Amino acid sequence: MIKNLLDKTYRWAQKNSLWVIHFNTGGCNGCDIEILDLLTPRYDIERLGIIAEASPRHADVLLCTGPVTQQTSAGLWQIYSQMPSPKWVVAVGSCSNTGGVFYGSDTVLGGVDKILPVDLYLPGCPCRPEAIIEGLLQLRERISKDG
Amino acid sequence: MDKVNFEVLREQIDSLVGSKCEVYDAIGNDDALIIPSERLMDVVALIDQIFDGAHLTTITAQQRAGQHNLIELMYHFYQKFAFTIIVRLPAEAPSIASILSILPGADFYEREVAEMFGVKFTGRTETPPLLLPDDWDQGPPFIRKEVIDE
Amino acid sequence: MSKISIPIGPQHPLLKEPLSMKIDISGEKVLGGSLRLGYVHRGIERLAQKRNYVQTIHLVERVCGICSHIHTTTFCQAVESLLKLEVPPRAQYLRALMCELERIHSHLLWLGILAKHVGLDTIFMHTWHDRELALDVMEEITGGRVLHGANQIGGVRFDLDESHFPMIYANLEKLRSQISGLLDILENEPALIARTKGVAPVSQKTIRQYGVAGPVARASGVDVDMRRDNPLPPYDQLKFSVVTMPDGDAWARTIVRAEEIRESLNLCEMILEDLPDGEVSKRAPRNVPEGEVIIRSEAPRGELFYYLRSDGTDQPARLKIRTPTLAALCLLPVQMSDIQVADIPVVLAGVDLCVACADR
Repeated sequence: MIKNLLDKTYRWAQKNSLWVIHFNTGGCNGCDIEILDLLTPRYDIERLGIIAEASPRHADVLLCTGPVTQQTSAGLWQIYSQMPSPKWVVAVGSCSNTGGVFYGSDTVLGGVDKILPVDLYLPGCPCRPEAIIEGLLQLRERISKDG
Repeated sequence: MDKVNFEVLREQIDSLVGSKCEVYDAIGNDDALIIPSERLMDVVALIDQIFDGAHLTTITAQQRAGQHNLIELMYHFYQKFAFTIIVRLPAEAPSIASILSILPGADFYEREVAEMFGVKFTGRTETPPLLLPDDWDQGPPFIRKEVIDE
Repeated sequence: MSKISIPIGPQHPLLKEPLSMKIDISGEKVLGGSLRLGYVHRGIERLAQKRNYVQTIHLVERVCGICSHIHTTTFCQAVESLLKLEVPPRAQYLRALMCELERIHSHLLWLGILAKHVGLDTIFMHTWHDRELALDVMEEITGGRVLHGANQIGGVRFDLDESHFPMIYANLEKLRSQISGLLDILENEPALIARTKGVAPVSQKTIRQYGVAGPVARASGVDVDMRRDNPLPPYDQLKFSVVTMPDGDAWARTIVRAEEIRESLNLCEMILEDLPDGEVSKRAPRNVPEGEVIIRSEAPRGELFYYLRSDGTDQPARLKIRTPTLAALCLLPVQMSDIQVADIPVVLAGVDLCVACADR
C-alpha cells in the first residue's frame, strides 16, 4: 500500500512539472516559433508547470521539430541518450511525424520515429500552440495513468 | 535592367578581355555577359574597382538540358543595377579561379557550387563542404540527378 | 593567455536552430570563429525539380517559417514573369500587405530574441505579446498564423471585405502605440545601450565586399532597399522612407529594425487606404513556357534572390534561391574578431539568424 501511495505521488509530481527540452532537427522554424510562443504571455505554459530547460540532463520531455536531416540525426540521438529515464518524446508538426513536405529528399531521414521511439505525434504545419498544449495535457494524463 | 550603364560596363569589359563578349539576353530582369572563363579574375577586379566594392549576390551553377558537357556558372552582381557574368566550363573537369581574394563574400557561394556540382576552385587553400552532411559519399547531387534523368 | 576553442551547437539554448560554431577565445577576448552550416539542409532546390509549380509554392513556403510569405511571393512573381501574366492590382496590394505584416512580426520576433540575449526578459515577453497582434491580423485574413498559403500563381487566395477592416485597423493602432513605447526604451535604456553601442562595427566597404543587404547593411549607412530600388508593384506607387544609420554597430542594427517596424505600419495603412477593387487572381496555365528570370525582393532580413529556369514543362528546370542570411553568416566570423566574450550573444542576435533560410 505504501508502494502504491509512493507511486501515485511520484506520478502526480512528474505530471505536474514536466520540463521540456526543444530540439530542431532541421525544420523550417514554423513549429519552433510556435513552441517558443508557448512561453509568452498569451499561452503561458508555465502555469501548467512546464518550463523550457536548457540541458538534456534536467529534462523529461523532448520536443522535436523538423524532418531529421542526416546531419542532425547523431545530435538527436545524443540528446535523447543524455536525458534521464523516465523520458518521453513528442514529435511536433508534420515534418517530425512523417517528413512532411520534404519527404523524398536525399538528405532527409523523414520523421523522428526513424531514430527515436515517439510517444506523441502532433500534426499540423505548423502545429498551433493550442494543439501543442492539448498534446502536452494528454501526455500528462497518460503519465498519471500508467507512468 | 539599366541599359545605359550596362552598355558602358560592357565596353569596359570588352576592352579588358580584348574581344567582344557575347551578350546573353534571355534572362528576364538582368543583363548578362558571357566571358571566357580564364579572364574571370580580371573582370571581377574591374567590376570591384568601378563600383568601389561590387555586391555579389550569389553564384548560380546549372547544367542545361541537352548541354550536359557544360557546367554554367553565373555570377550575379547588384550595384544600383543588376547584371550577371556567365562562364561556361567543361563538365568532365570543371575548374575555375576563385575570386575569394577580391570578394571575400564569395566564400560560401563557391563552397556550395563546389560540393553540389563538383567544380574545382583554384587559388583557395581549401574548399570544405558547406551544406552537405559530413558523411555524404554520393558525389555532387546535382550532377547525379541530371545523369539519372538522361 | 592560451587560446581555448568553445563549441556552440548544434543544440544550444541560445539558438533556435541547429548551427555549429567554434569560437576561439583568449581570456575575455574573442579571437575569431568558424561556422558549420548544413544542419537544416533539406535539398529544396533539388526537390523543386521533382515537383510541379503549384507544389513548389508549398515547398518554397517552408524554406523558412518566419519569412515564408516573401518566399512564395518572389517565386510566384518569377513564374508569372515567365508566363507573362499580369497579376490584378488588388492582388498585388494584398501581397504587399502580407509582406509588411510579416516584416512587422519578424522584426518584433527578432527584438524579443535580442532582448532575451541581452538579459532584458521583460522586453522579450512584451514584444512577443505584441507580435500576436500582427499574427492575429494575418490569421484573420488568410487563416494561418505562421504559414499562410496566401499566394497562388496569378494572384492571392484570400480577399478582404469591410468586415475585416475594423479589426485590422484596431490591431495596427495598438501596435503603433506599443512600438513608440518600445522605441523609447531602445533609445534611452542605459543597460541596452551599454551592451550594444560600439559593439562589432562593420564598415560600408566590408558590407559591399560580403554582398550583405538589408537591415545589417542599412545600419552601416549603405542605402539599399529592394522595395525602393528594384520595385515590383505596388511598391512603385507607395511612399515610404528607407531607414539608415551611420555607425554600423549592434545598436544601429537594433534601431534600424525598430524604425522599420514603424515604416511597415505606415505602409500597411497606406495599402489599406489605396486598396483597388477588382478580382484577386487570374487563372494560370499549368505548363510554363521556356525561359529564365531573376527576381530580387526585400525579405525582412535583406535581399532575397530567386533564379528560375523553365523548360516548357510543368516542373521547374532549375530553381536557385539565395537568402539574405547566407551573406550575413559569411560576415559573422569577421564580426566575431575583436569583441569580448560577453558580446557574443549580442553579435549573434544582431545578425538575425535564420539558419533554415541559409541552408535551404
